[in-house]
Amino acid sequence: MANHENKTLTFRIRRYGTGGKAHEHYWQEYKVEAMKGQSVLDCLNEIRFKQDGSLTFRRSCRSGICGSCAMTINGVSRLACETQVMTLGTETVTVEPLKGFRPIKDLAVDIDPIPEKLLAVKPYLITKTPPPSDQERLQSQAERSRLDGLYECILCGCCTASCPSFWADEKYLGPFAFLKAYRFIADSRDEGEREHFEALDDKHGLWRCHTIFNCVEACPKSLNPTKAIAALKRELVKNRIG
Amino acid sequence: MRALQRYRIHLGTAAWILHRLAGLALILYLLVHIWVIHHLIGGQQSFDKIMEFFNNPLAKALEIGLVGVILYHLWNGLRVTLIDMGVMVERQKALFAAAVVVWLVTWGVVAYAMLTKVGGLLSALAKIGGGGLS
Repeated sequence: MANHENKTLTFRIRRYGTGGKAHEHYWQEYKVEAMKGQSVLDCLNEIRFKQDGSLTFRRSCRSGICGSCAMTINGVSRLACETQVMTLGTETVTVEPLKGFRPIKDLAVDIDPIPEKLLAVKPYLITKTPPPSDQERLQSQAERSRLDGLYECILCGCCTASCPSFWADEKYLGPFAFLKAYRFIADSRDEGEREHFEALDDKHGLWRCHTIFNCVEACPKSLNPTKAIAALKRELVKNRIG
Repeated sequence: MRALQRYRIHLGTAAWILHRLAGLALILYLLVHIWVIHHLIGGQQSFDKIMEFFNNPLAKALEIGLVGVILYHLWNGLRVTLIDMGVMVERQKALFAAAVVVWLVTWGVVAYAMLTKVGGLLSALAKIGGGGLS
């Protein structure tokens, strides 16, 4: 059904390991009749369902919660489900897998490094004193609000995939791991600062951040890992001097 | 670094790349500087000779360029330091704009001072106009 708001877009997709071309990257183009309000994920689904069933990508919730459909769209890490094609403003939409991660097939990359980096910072509450008897460990509203902007991360990997320090060093912990570490270090109930910092004060840790801000530009949840990194650096220096 | 080729260059990336290039340029300058200064070992004559070698408009222009490189590295370095201290982390682009303004103003002032001083670029250029490089 033709509509004046419809537009034929060219999807230029960076493919890998398909079409008899194992371990080889190549570009393939598809035409998609896109409607206003349609997401990049909708278009990829349309290609997969109607044009080329071999096109491989991850998706699950299609509402910006699961983080599965993180990919590089028009040169920036984004969630395909949260990116409306019309707002990109280009006739050709370039879609590539997340940068810096090992490719598996087409747009699907090996995301094993994401949980590995996450676990390195011990992303859980560490306590040493017993809780008040028969009570939860309580927090004031002010203490709780310190965690705003830290806990919302969905672990999609957009930030780390956008980070030149990660491209240069695949062992670099990367923005989301720092954000998560700070989420616990900033928590008034946490007593495991030393444990959280262990992996951070390392050559693959905090000091490899060069304040480039690509992570902040990329984050689909509009979080600010650089702010957390700056706070962590200050804490670390304070602990060393103090 | 192949990924950099097809990732959008955001403002922060540009600031960082320029900062790195400025740093490399400063290392290069330092090597030249040490080489020039080492002529002091050969006495006054040797030093005067090397200083004479650099007494031309091209060297003067490079010198003004060097000031620009130093000042960029200085002001953007301060921007990064402020960010690490938690100042304006959420407004890094405005902070970069401020750093660029201060950079250009200070560069302009120093360049003006260099050009209007004895044997400046303008008079050197006038010399070329008058009778070639000599």
